[in-house]
Amino acid sequence: MDCCGGMDEHDETCTEVKVKDGVDAGTVAAAKRLESENYSAGFVTDIEMDFAPKGLTEDTVRFISAKKEEPDWLLEYRLEAYRRWLTLEEPTWARVNYPKIDYQAYYYYAAPKNSAKYKSLDEVPKEILDTYAKLGIPLREAEVLLGVEGAAETAATAREKPRVAVDAVFDSVSVATTFREELKKAGVIFMSISEAVQEYPDLVKKYLGTVVPATDNFFATLNAAVFSDGTFVYVPKGVRCPMELSTYFRMNAESTGQFERTLIIADEGAYVSYLEGCTAPMRDENQLHAAVVELVALDDAEIKYSTVQNWWPGDENGKGGIYNFVTKRGDCRGARSKISWTQVETGSAITWKYPSCVLRGDDSVGEFYSIAVTNGRQQADTGTKMIHLGKRTKSRIISKGISAGRSDNTYRGLVSVHKKAEGARNFTQCDSLLIGDKCGAHTVPYVENRRADAQLEHEATTTKLSEDQLFYVRQRGIGEEQAVALLVNGFVREVLQELPMEFAVEAQKLLEVSLEGSVG
Amino acid sequence: MSTALKDLIRNPTVAELELVARYAALKADARRERLFEAFAQTGLPGRRAENWRWSDFKTAVGQLDTPKAPPARDPLARDGVSTLRFTPAGFVAPASLPAGLRLLAKEDVQAMGGAEEAPLGALAAALSGTVLVDVSAGAAVHLHMVFQGPGAINAARVVFLLRPGAQLHVSESHLGGAAFSTALVEFTLNKGAHLHRTLYQAGGADEAQAVTALIEQDEGAESVQTVLALGARIARIESRLVHRETGSKATLNAAYLAGAGRHADITTHVRHGAPACTTRQATKGAVLAGGRGVFQGKFLVPRTSGQQTDASMQHNALLLEEGAEVFAKPELEILADDVQCAHGNTSGALDGAQLFYLRQRGIPLAQARAMLTEAFIAEALEGAGELEEVLRHEAQAWLSHVS
Amino acid sequence: MLKIENLSATVGEGEGATAILHGLSLSVPTGEVHAIMGPNGAGKSTLSYVLTGREGYTVTGGTATLNGEDLLSLDPEARAAKGMFLSFQYPVEIPGVPVMTFVRTAMNAQRKARGEPEISAPEFIKKSREIAKVLSLDPEMLKRPVNVGFSGGEKKRLEIYQMMMLEPRFMVLDETDSGLDIDALRTVAEGVNALRSPERGMLVITHYQRLLDYIKPDKVHVLAKGRIIKTGGPELAHRLEAEGYDGVLAEAV
Repeated sequence: MDCCGGMDEHDETCTEVKVKDGVDAGTVAAAKRLESENYSAGFVTDIEMDFAPKGLTEDTVRFISAKKEEPDWLLEYRLEAYRRWLTLEEPTWARVNYPKIDYQAYYYYAAPKNSAKYKSLDEVPKEILDTYAKLGIPLREAEVLLGVEGAAETAATAREKPRVAVDAVFDSVSVATTFREELKKAGVIFMSISEAVQEYPDLVKKYLGTVVPATDNFFATLNAAVFSDGTFVYVPKGVRCPMELSTYFRMNAESTGQFERTLIIADEGAYVSYLEGCTAPMRDENQLHAAVVELVALDDAEIKYSTVQNWWPGDENGKGGIYNFVTKRGDCRGARSKISWTQVETGSAITWKYPSCVLRGDDSVGEFYSIAVTNGRQQADTGTKMIHLGKRTKSRIISKGISAGRSDNTYRGLVSVHKKAEGARNFTQCDSLLIGDKCGAHTVPYVENRRADAQLEHEATTTKLSEDQLFYVRQRGIGEEQAVALLVNGFVREVLQELPMEFAVEAQKLLEVSLEGSVG
Repeated sequence: MSTALKDLIRNPTVAELELVARYAALKADARRERLFEAFAQTGLPGRRAENWRWSDFKTAVGQLDTPKAPPARDPLARDGVSTLRFTPAGFVAPASLPAGLRLLAKEDVQAMGGAEEAPLGALAAALSGTVLVDVSAGAAVHLHMVFQGPGAINAARVVFLLRPGAQLHVSESHLGGAAFSTALVEFTLNKGAHLHRTLYQAGGADEAQAVTALIEQDEGAESVQTVLALGARIARIESRLVHRETGSKATLNAAYLAGAGRHADITTHVRHGAPACTTRQATKGAVLAGGRGVFQGKFLVPRTSGQQTDASMQHNALLLEEGAEVFAKPELEILADDVQCAHGNTSGALDGAQLFYLRQRGIPLAQARAMLTEAFIAEALEGAGELEEVLRHEAQAWLSHVS
Repeated sequence: MLKIENLSATVGEGEGATAILHGLSLSVPTGEVHAIMGPNGAGKSTLSYVLTGREGYTVTGGTATLNGEDLLSLDPEARAAKGMFLSFQYPVEIPGVPVMTFVRTAMNAQRKARGEPEISAPEFIKKSREIAKVLSLDPEMLKRPVNVGFSGGEKKRLEIYQMMMLEPRFMVLDETDSGLDIDALRTVAEGVNALRSPERGMLVITHYQRLLDYIKPDKVHVLAKGRIIKTGGPELAHRLEAEGYDGVLAEAV
């Protein structure tokens, strides 16, 4: 079973599905070796890094832009954001507590030395490849070759075989993008945003900051000033992207802030499914992550965006862990467009994240499916906003929060129906599960209706894990932790079903790992 | 007015300056000062305050003049029931009191818990004296209270103590008649006490009204509250209830009907501060073009003390015409695990299938709409007991002008 | 007489509209009982909703008249006042409105529309009691909100109760047998048969022949793909039961 996931020699014949199967065995084994009890992605890669000077000044912004050889307009965009950021205050409305962040104590740019010069995967340092292998990410040449081979296949048969194209972001830079050639044939642009700025400046300029403006909020403004890398996807008119696209973000360097920027555009009638995975090694300091994700769906386009986030949550005493302040927003700009967010959030010390949909186009659809698990001392404040502007717009929100340990888990959401959103519909279901008596589960929905012909429905429940069910399962011989995992899996099933198959399996295992030690 | 007083509120509005002046004219008192400071933290609360984002008193309370409209009729007035009157000119005690009830009206101020959480309640306390009502155990005591102008500002405070086993049926009519009315009504329910509270609110298109209730319940105490609010330019009925001992029960029902130029806000905050307490809450609303309905409900279940909480909250609203607005925030903050908490929220038009069913049986559209709306609202009034019919009648009367 | 000529209708709005009825023609003379049978998705329920004026259904062609008067241009309540009654396949729950209040309001609204005097309270109660007895309905049930918390069988019996109370001139029974056990079916059928008269017409929509053992039709029509493809006597229902829809459908093409 120790296929591609482990640190052992790579077996070129194995398929990617096996890679996924192998992830857990491999990484769990690796983690055990590193004496980390629960966090299987908690290892540090030892390579030489190239840093921007610590702290944030106008010079830092210029440094980042210069490193990336950016055009003037982008430097100006960053500087304007930076200047605005200086005037903003960190928001305090979320139900999260953390010591004051010293924004001058972080590095705003960290890259493996010479990273800009990688021409092919062969040049990527072995340490980095090993890191991704440990994480179970199919990145190596072998996979790429496999993809090239498959490029001859028609799009239809390609879909039958689940394959995933990966853009891997290591701290601040993108180190490799797989399957690029095959995607190019379909007309799909899939590359790091730094590359896109160079190769498709017009497209980037046209859409960047149009969904999440640089002025949007404290963290988004910070991101606009210092974003280092991220993914750019453009799916042209009428194209159904032939494979799942994926980015893995990995934070490695100490005291590093990661500020990636993702921009996905589905042109008229296009479809794309995008997966995002995040991990970070264990470190004592709290690492800062302030990403911005922008999605644009034009007429009849559909974007499915899935996230599995297991950044380092900190230890059981609340030391260390990632501060995750993320602004994700999709703009259903075209008629009949659809944007669907699915997230499985098990990591981070602090999560502040509200993937939202602006339903501008008539008959557009927004969806939000979320599983948020908090354990230990984690604090999550997450939810969504569905802004109904167009006629007959529909939205659906399914949120499952699970709190254990001494954690706090908050669903915060807004459904807002504007005056012109004739016949808008929303259904919201928010369920919270409490495991143990020292954690908290909070539900804060805002529902604003300005249309008599709109139909809005919201249901929420908060309960503990049923002792009857737990006993029933255990009576059948299943151990307590497994029994909890089984019941939790039942609780979140509706959301898991929304994930692409190979991700769902991973997410399910992740839930189990996250809840270890939560009972007894 | 001293500079210090003027600076109490940042960038004060005309109305806030007037309120400061009113306060300054009253006899100095350390408690009064604390209460006014609690109010001054926010001033008249508005959009910037999280709990007031949809009910902006700062903007809505304008010139503090006596309104032109004649004072409203009191549907809850009944012969033979002692009535306490709170007017801008002061408190008027009833000629006689029922057995089991003692009343003390005093000029000075009594301290108020949680004043910072209820700025308009704190304001009411800071600008008025205190009426204390002591209810002893025995047969149910009936009492009626009227809060009504004419005048510019009507601030009132009344504090009830229900002794162990006491039973109080209190009805309140908040009829406006002042540019700004704010009332603070407090109830302490000792062990096994029963409170039956029925509240009717109606106000003019140029009036602002706030009613703040603080309710604390001891072991086995039970309260049943029913509100019918017709709104005003802005009106908020806020109830803050604490279950502070085991086995306490509360039912908090409300209906609001907001026509053109009316704003009705039902806000509740329930703290399950003791194990095995129960809260049942149903709020229904119907809003016409140019009206706004606001519902904010919160259950707070603190760590360890709130185990075995059983609480549910429903808010359902009808937007009867385009141009109506309904904003809702049903909130749960749960820090104990052995709980059953649920809330539901819906807003929209009348159900199309129901309307068709009625019409298929020959009932004309307008009548079908009125029937369904009335039935919808009536559910929230069922707990009002002997006053249910009166409230239903008021709701019917309101609806008869709709279609 | 109910006369439907070349009726076409769609369900849904705008681009999402689907054509369901395609030139359906049918006549039910006063005093007769006709059955409409057809496979799922044939348009049976659509026909009942188009005849009674439910929102969301758009007539795209053809006519429907009751005793020579146009139905399709009227509001649902006006059609009801003309005597059209639909026994719903899925009766709707109306919380907060007691059955008696509901039916009395309906009866008086219809009478008013026809220029007749209202029914007096004692008269209404007497009539209600008699009908409840025939249908073995618990009088307590009539004080509860319409259909709320009723079983499937109770809901169907309540439909028949309303029908007997309102005494319509034409009745459409949409899958009245679904969800009924044999005893309930018999009770319901007795109620329906009691309403058979030379002044009334009836259209019984059903998927199975079973109901027609109790409510004997004068004619049976087969509805498929939005049109009447075959008409015959009661024996046609038996044939459908024995051979299934496939044979009859194939024959008709």
